[in-house]
Amino acid sequence: MSESDTSPKIQTTIETGDEGRGEAPLNARDTVIEARNLDVYYGEEQAINDVSMEINEHDVTALIGPSGCGKSTFLRCINRMNDMIDVCRVEGDIEFDGKNVYDDDVDPVALRRKIGIVFQKPNPFPKSIRENVAYGLKIQGFDGDIDARVEESLKRAALWDEVKDQLGSSGLDLSGGQQQRLCIARAIAPDPEVILMDEPTSALDPVAASKIEDLIDDLAEEYTVIIVTHNMQQAARISDRTAVFLTGGELVEYDNTAKIFEDPEEQRVEDYITGKFG
Amino acid sequence: METEETTSDQLGRSTALRLQQLKGQLFEVALVAATLVGILAVLALFVQISSDAFQPETASPAWFLVYLGTLVGPTAAFTLYARRRPAVRETNAKAFAAVFGGLLLALVTYAVVDSLSPYDVFTYAFFASLPPALVLAYDRTTEDRTYTGPAIPASIIVGVAVAALLYDFVRGPIGVAAEWILYFGLVTVPAALLVWTLTASRRGRRSGALAGGIVAAGGLAVAVASIVTGANASLLVVLYSAFIVPTGYVLWRSVRTDPEGRVGVAGPFVLLGGTLLGAAVVDQFGIRSPDSFLTPNLLLQSWDGLTASNAGVYPQIVGSIIIVGFMAVLAFPVGIGAAIYLEEYAPDTGLRGRLATILEVNISNLAGVPSVVYGLLGLALFRRTLGFGTGIVVTASGTLGLLILPIVIVSTQEALRSVPDDLRQGSYGMGASRWQTLREVVLPEAIPGTLTGTILALARAIGETAPLVIIAIATTTYSPPSGLFSSGTALPLQIFAASANAKPEFRHGVVPAAAVVLLILMLLMNATAIVIRNKYGREN
Repeated sequence: MSESDTSPKIQTTIETGDEGRGEAPLNARDTVIEARNLDVYYGEEQAINDVSMEINEHDVTALIGPSGCGKSTFLRCINRMNDMIDVCRVEGDIEFDGKNVYDDDVDPVALRRKIGIVFQKPNPFPKSIRENVAYGLKIQGFDGDIDARVEESLKRAALWDEVKDQLGSSGLDLSGGQQQRLCIARAIAPDPEVILMDEPTSALDPVAASKIEDLIDDLAEEYTVIIVTHNMQQAARISDRTAVFLTGGELVEYDNTAKIFEDPEEQRVEDYITGKFG
Repeated sequence: METEETTSDQLGRSTALRLQQLKGQLFEVALVAATLVGILAVLALFVQISSDAFQPETASPAWFLVYLGTLVGPTAAFTLYARRRPAVRETNAKAFAAVFGGLLLALVTYAVVDSLSPYDVFTYAFFASLPPALVLAYDRTTEDRTYTGPAIPASIIVGVAVAALLYDFVRGPIGVAAEWILYFGLVTVPAALLVWTLTASRRGRRSGALAGGIVAAGGLAVAVASIVTGANASLLVVLYSAFIVPTGYVLWRSVRTDPEGRVGVAGPFVLLGGTLLGAAVVDQFGIRSPDSFLTPNLLLQSWDGLTASNAGVYPQIVGSIIIVGFMAVLAFPVGIGAAIYLEEYAPDTGLRGRLATILEVNISNLAGVPSVVYGLLGLALFRRTLGFGTGIVVTASGTLGLLILPIVIVSTQEALRSVPDDLRQGSYGMGASRWQTLREVVLPEAIPGTLTGTILALARAIGETAPLVIIAIATTTYSPPSGLFSSGTALPLQIFAASANAKPEFRHGVVPAAAVVLLILMLLMNATAIVIRNKYGREN
C-alpha cells in the first residue's frame, strides 16, 4: 500500500507557498468566522484567554504555538466539538457567517455539517472506502447521486487514482497518508464551507505530509481552511495568515504569514519562531 | 594485564548474570507448572466423568479397533491433509458449521416448538412478523424513511399484543391445520425467503425467486412423501428446512466457487460416515460395545427413577433450552441497553454522573453475588410480589436473567469501551448525531465483543442450579414445559436430584452421562461464541 507514497510521478518538492499567499492585506476578503472575547475553561483552568480574531473566506489560516497554548481548543470551539467534554465551558462569541455558534438555537449537529474537521490521527471508519466517503452524505439524508459525489470527493482529495479499483475494500487497508486523504475526502463530501484541520500531518511521514500540504493549497480555492500545526515551516509554506498562540491561551499576534515569519511585532513571537523557546 | 579486563571478559557470562538467568528460568518453570496444574485438574475431571458415562472398559478390544479403523484413522488422515492447505481448512470449517449447526438448529427448533405447541408458536410468530413485513413493504413505496427504524420494533410489540388479545379467536381456525403446515410456515418459509434474498443479491431477481420457489416446493414434497410413508412429517419438514437446505446451500456454493478448497466439504462427512460405518460393522459382527449410559434413551425419553437404562432427560434438556432462551429475550435487551446508556450517554459529572458512577461500581459488585441470593430475589420478586406460580418457566427465566444481567452489562461495556474514541470524534465531526454515531460506527464495532460476552453469560446460566432450587423448580418433570407459564425443569436440577438416588448405577452412570450432556450444551454455546468472534475478527 505504501508503494504509491514513494512512486516517482508524485510531486514531492516543497514550495514556499504560491505567489500572493500570505501577503494580501488583512481585510481583503469577507470574514467568515469571527471570535470575540472568547474565553474557554476546562473546569477551573483557563485554556483560552480573551481571544478575538477574524478569519477570512478562502484563506488558509494557520494556528501555531507551543503545546498546551489552546490552539486546538480554539479550533474545536469553532464547530463545537468541545461540547462533548463535560467540564468545558465557553464564554464570549464565535460567529460563523454572522451567527453566534454558541446561541441556544444553533444545533451543533447542523453546525458541523457546515464546518467539517480532520483530525491529527487518520481515523477512517472500519468500513469500505466508498462507505467512508459517503458517510456524511448518508447521515445527512443526501438523495442525489452518491457514487458521483464519492468520485468527485476522492478526486478532490487526490486519492481517486490510487483507490478507484478498490472502493469496496476497507479504508483501514490504506497507508497512513492515504487514510488521511480519505478522511479529507470524507470531510469534503457533504460540501462544507469551512474545513478545520487539527495537526493533520503530524502522524505522517514527510512525503505523505507534503502531499497533504499540496492538497490543502488546492482546497483553499473552494473552502476556508483553518489548520493547527506544530510545524512552523509548514505554516509558512501553506498559510495566508498565521495566528500565534502562546502559553495561557493568549493570542499574541495574528497577521499575514509573511509578516509573522519575517518581521513579527512581538519579541515573544520572534523567540518562538526562531526556536529560542517553545 | 591483571588490572585491565579484556573485552571478552566484560562480555562473558559472570556468576551474577548466571544467577539472574537461573532465577528467570525457575520463575518460568513455576508459571508452566501453575498452568499445568489447572489444565490437568480439569482434564482429570473430564476423563473421570466421561469414563463413568461411557464405561469404555466394558467394550471388547475389537470395538476399539473397528472405530479406530472407520472413524479415528480417516479423520486423522483428513486433518493431516487439510492442515497444510488453508483453503481446504477454511471450507472444512464452513462445512462443519453448516452441517452440525444446521442439524442442531433443526433439532432444537423442533423440540422447542413441539413442546410449546406449534399452534401457539405459529400464532405468535405470524402476528409478530406480519406488522414489520407491512412496515418494510410500505418503506419501499415511500421516500421518507425517517420512521422506518423505530417503527419495526414497535410493530413487533404491537403484533405480539394483538396476538395475545385475539388468541381465543385465532386459535380455533389455526387448530384446523395439520401440524406440518405450521412447521412449514415457521421454518420452511423463512428458509425459502433467506435463500431468495441471498441468491437475488448475487445472481439477480429471477434466479432468486426461482431458488426460493425450489426450496418451498422441496418442503412440500418432503411433507407429502412423509405423509405417504407414514413418517413424522413435522420433524422431516424442519430437518429439511433448517438442516438440508442451509447445508446444501453452503456446500453447493463452496464446491462451485472455491475449486481450491472444495475437498474441505468432505470433513463432516468423514466424521459422520465413519461413525455410521463403525456402527454397522459392530452390529454386523456382534462386537461387544461398551455399556454406555449416554444412549438415545437418555436423550429422547423422559425420566425413570427406577431403571437406569430407561432414565431419559429429554424434558430436562428442552426445559433448560426454553428457560435459557426466554431468559435471553428478557435479559439481553435490558443489559445491552443499560451498558449503552452507562458507556455512551451517561455524563461524567454532575448529579447524573455521580449516579452513573455509583451504578457502575454496584453492577460490578452484583456480578459477584452468590447465585443462591439471586434465587431469594427471584422468589421475592416473581413469586411474592408479581404473583407468578411456583416453579414455572417465567420465574426461572426471570431469576436467571437477573443473575446474568451484570455479566451482560459488564461485557457489553467492555466491548463499547474498546471502540476507539477517534471513530466517535470522526463521526461527530461529520455532523452525525449521537444516535447516528452509535448505530453506524460504535455498535457495529462492538457487536463481536458483545455477542461473545452474552453467549458466555448464556453458558453460565444453563448450568445454574441453586437459584432454581430456591424458586422451587421441580427437580423432575415427565414432559417438557408446554408454555411459559407451565412448570418445567432444568438439566442441572435433575443431575442434582439423581445424585441422591439409592441405586449406584444412577449415581455412577446416569449422573455423569447427564453431566456430559450438560457440558456438551455449554461447549456448543461457547463454540458459537468463538465462531462469531473469529468471523467478525477476520472481517475487520
